[in-house]
Amino acid sequence: MKKILLTTGIVLTTAFTFGQGCSDAGICSIGHGFQSTDKELKNTIEVASIFGAGESDVTYFSPYVSYSRKINDKIALSVKVTFSSANGDFGTRAAFGDAFLIGNYSFAANNNKQWSALLGWKLPFTSSNLKINEHSLPLIYQSSLGTFDLFLGTNYKYNKLDFNVAVQIPVFNNNKNSYFKEYAGTNDFPSTNLFERKPDALFRATYTVNTKNQKFTFKPNVLFIYHLGEDSFENIYGKRENIIGSDGLTINGNLISTYKLSKQKSIELSIAAPFVIRDIRPDGLTRSFVLGLQYNYSF
Amino acid sequence: MKTIFILFPFLLLLTSCEVQGDLTRDNEQFVSIPKDIAVLKYSGSFVPTSGINAAGMAKIYIENSQYKLELSNFSVTNGPDLKVYLSKSNAPTDFVNLGNLTSSTVYLIPQNVDVSTYKFVLIHCQQYNHLFAIAELTNN
Repeated sequence: MKKILLTTGIVLTTAFTFGQGCSDAGICSIGHGFQSTDKELKNTIEVASIFGAGESDVTYFSPYVSYSRKINDKIALSVKVTFSSANGDFGTRAAFGDAFLIGNYSFAANNNKQWSALLGWKLPFTSSNLKINEHSLPLIYQSSLGTFDLFLGTNYKYNKLDFNVAVQIPVFNNNKNSYFKEYAGTNDFPSTNLFERKPDALFRATYTVNTKNQKFTFKPNVLFIYHLGEDSFENIYGKRENIIGSDGLTINGNLISTYKLSKQKSIELSIAAPFVIRDIRPDGLTRSFVLGLQYNYSF
Repeated sequence: MKTIFILFPFLLLLTSCEVQGDLTRDNEQFVSIPKDIAVLKYSGSFVPTSGINAAGMAKIYIENSQYKLELSNFSVTNGPDLKVYLSKSNAPTDFVNLGNLTSSTVYLIPQNVDVSTYKFVLIHCQQYNHLFAIAELTNN
């Protein structure tokens, strides 16, 4: 009964307190793929809800559920399904976002040093053309970018430090967005008709602090994301046009605080904000503030 | 443990249904054609493509040097992501995308478009690249 109440409480509270959503490109949370589960507990379920505030007063609520399985000492696999709801001047739009399949291989540890490698795949549930009353919406309102992406990454762990390097490559583009600012009555968002997105490269440095009683863990980290090229769209004349200023660097600061409820259960609070942003972010990844609450259960 | 396995997906489904709220802003400006001022320049009847039903006319008016397209008595088989194109040929290769086909029947044609070089109005499904209907325009 206690389990039911706890689970229900967390899921319902996080789901109904906020709206929902956001077009998470995936790479922001890729660091989780490097974290293998406890040595004795081979399975972990995560349920999380993320609240974010974006450009032009758009707010998001994006819950996800994730399952990780440690196959052996070296290999772990995880699957994640996201949902997203965006709320703003155009109204509210919510739908399932993406599925992530991530495999992680850990090399043997040596003197507190350990390398691991990650391979992942993102599958979109939508073609990024969700509408309200048949009116096209900008990407900031879409639950997925509509791209099938490949993730490649590596992690180097040294004592309390973790360094991640990863790339996210759109391999197959199924983005069918049809938003034109010319017909939208606002210049708040750029045109993204038949949007094509360039890859991202990520570098993250994380420092881990445990309290003496091992109940709390704090992970301050800094995340550099470089968008490797200008995105493009098809204009009203059917010609492809680059979006000037859509490439470049984003730097995010993030603090993850974890409280261990028991050997099997923990709750995690994550707060993040960008310090440096690209000139223009047509992909809708414009969150100025993100707050995440996550419940982990291992067995 | 079994309870949790059952509970998680159930709660996820319960809280994560697809939501489409109401449009809370004028996404596309309402356009009308005052028939006493506007002059009909071009018109043509819609012909459906294979497997599609379509009827009605495309009419292009000019009003104070602004061209406007009206879909008159128009109907077409439902389709996903239907667009209205002003096109130079009867295929969607060289066109001006006038926006979504919605209940609104009048579309503004951008000022810099030389309307005389566009001889067709197309109804085209952009998402699946399928042409639904073609209207060949003639001078009035």
